[in-house]
Amino acid sequence: MKKSHHVVAGLAIVLSSLLVMPVFAQANPAPPGQTDELFRSFGGQAGLVRLIDDFMVRIVADERLGPFWKDTNLKQIKTQLVDQICVITGGPCVYKGDDMKQVHGGMKIGKPEFNALIEVLQVAMDKQGIAFSAQNQLLAKLAPMHRDIITVH
Amino acid sequence: MKRIVCSLGLMVGLALASPAWADTSKLLLTGGVSSIDGAAGGGLTPWSVIGSNATERETGASVHVSRAGTQDYSLIAYGVTAGFSERVEVSLARQDFDASPAVALNGIAAFGVRPNEHLRMDIVGLKLKLYGDVVLNSDTLAPQISVGLQHKTVAAGSLGSVLNFLGVKTSGTDLYVSATKLFLAKGLLVNGTLRYTNANQNGLLGFGAGSPGKDAMSLVPEFSVALLLSPHIAVGAEYRFKPNNLEALGRAAGLGDALAEDDWKDIFIAWAPNKNASVTLAYLDLGRIVPGVTAGRGQTGFYLSAQLAF
Repeated sequence: MKKSHHVVAGLAIVLSSLLVMPVFAQANPAPPGQTDELFRSFGGQAGLVRLIDDFMVRIVADERLGPFWKDTNLKQIKTQLVDQICVITGGPCVYKGDDMKQVHGGMKIGKPEFNALIEVLQVAMDKQGIAFSAQNQLLAKLAPMHRDIITVH
Repeated sequence: MKRIVCSLGLMVGLALASPAWADTSKLLLTGGVSSIDGAAGGGLTPWSVIGSNATERETGASVHVSRAGTQDYSLIAYGVTAGFSERVEVSLARQDFDASPAVALNGIAAFGVRPNEHLRMDIVGLKLKLYGDVVLNSDTLAPQISVGLQHKTVAAGSLGSVLNFLGVKTSGTDLYVSATKLFLAKGLLVNGTLRYTNANQNGLLGFGAGSPGKDAMSLVPEFSVALLLSPHIAVGAEYRFKPNNLEALGRAAGLGDALAEDDWKDIFIAWAPNKNASVTLAYLDLGRIVPGVTAGRGQTGFYLSAQLAF
């Protein structure tokens, strides 16, 4: 019984902080029910730019993945990735990039390549010192995109 | 022995000869470890994951060697597991069980059990993934689901007379279905397996039982939970329910609970320093194993397993 009191109290605190937050929020607030906590654990906008800069260097150098990125506008892709992850993590951004399915449809990406990309992202996140639990929270939001990205099974 | 070594060699050769083996690309620890029966999963129970590092459109293999020791018994298990396109898993495993306490059975009847006798069991396993993706479907509650079979054959040596007395068969086939879900955001994996079996002590004491023991198959559940503490370390626990086919037979023979069988439990820590190697350490509670020859005590001890996967 005592335990459930704690839970109720905890929920109340969480709920009230959620209700208070919009007052302080900037433009483009996180969607309802989502805080920007994950965004902040990635070091905010500056942290994401550092992460994606390093990530793209590793991707292009990776023999499994590099060929997919030949003849692409890396600068534009980096901006899109930062915006996309910013939105996903609850940051104050708008993703104006392309539809995942359209972009990857013709690329013949299989699960080996998809997993390789996750691996490189994990290395890049490690290098930025991002906490393991924050890494997993982001991966959990990215992983379902496999349905749009993996086209060969 | 020669035959299984040949088959092991053939399977490893096949797996290594596949051009994809060097580039197998399952994510770290997401293939589970090798269970004592050879199937990929936890230590005592299979999961729905397909063994080796191979994901779709790849072929891979793993080898493992494991040792468990308790107050009165010890077990060595080793084998090879091959994974095909993260869809089909084939495994071969051998268990060598030191049944030394069984020599005390000679005091009950003239069984002719030799001192330091070992039981050997060979297990051929097959697993087929039916549905889902344990890692990537992180936005749904749907688990990955696989079905499998384990065909087990036990060679009892001088304990053959005891198995005859118990009215058990020396081979049997377990069927199982496993559902595994990784809650990726939390790094928490949960597995439930339902096994259809008539194995006694996993098959080491044969299959079924003479009357009034239970000869029929039973449906028994098995559960595992594992928490990823870091990309390289997972801790967890397992609980495996067991049929208790022989106890009634023992009672009818005036031996009390001498043949009782209990559920198996363990807590474990698995460490994967890289994609190709993992080591698992577990504390086991296997309950009573033929308590009639071990002063009725439960069997607890440690389990250590090493796996190489490609």
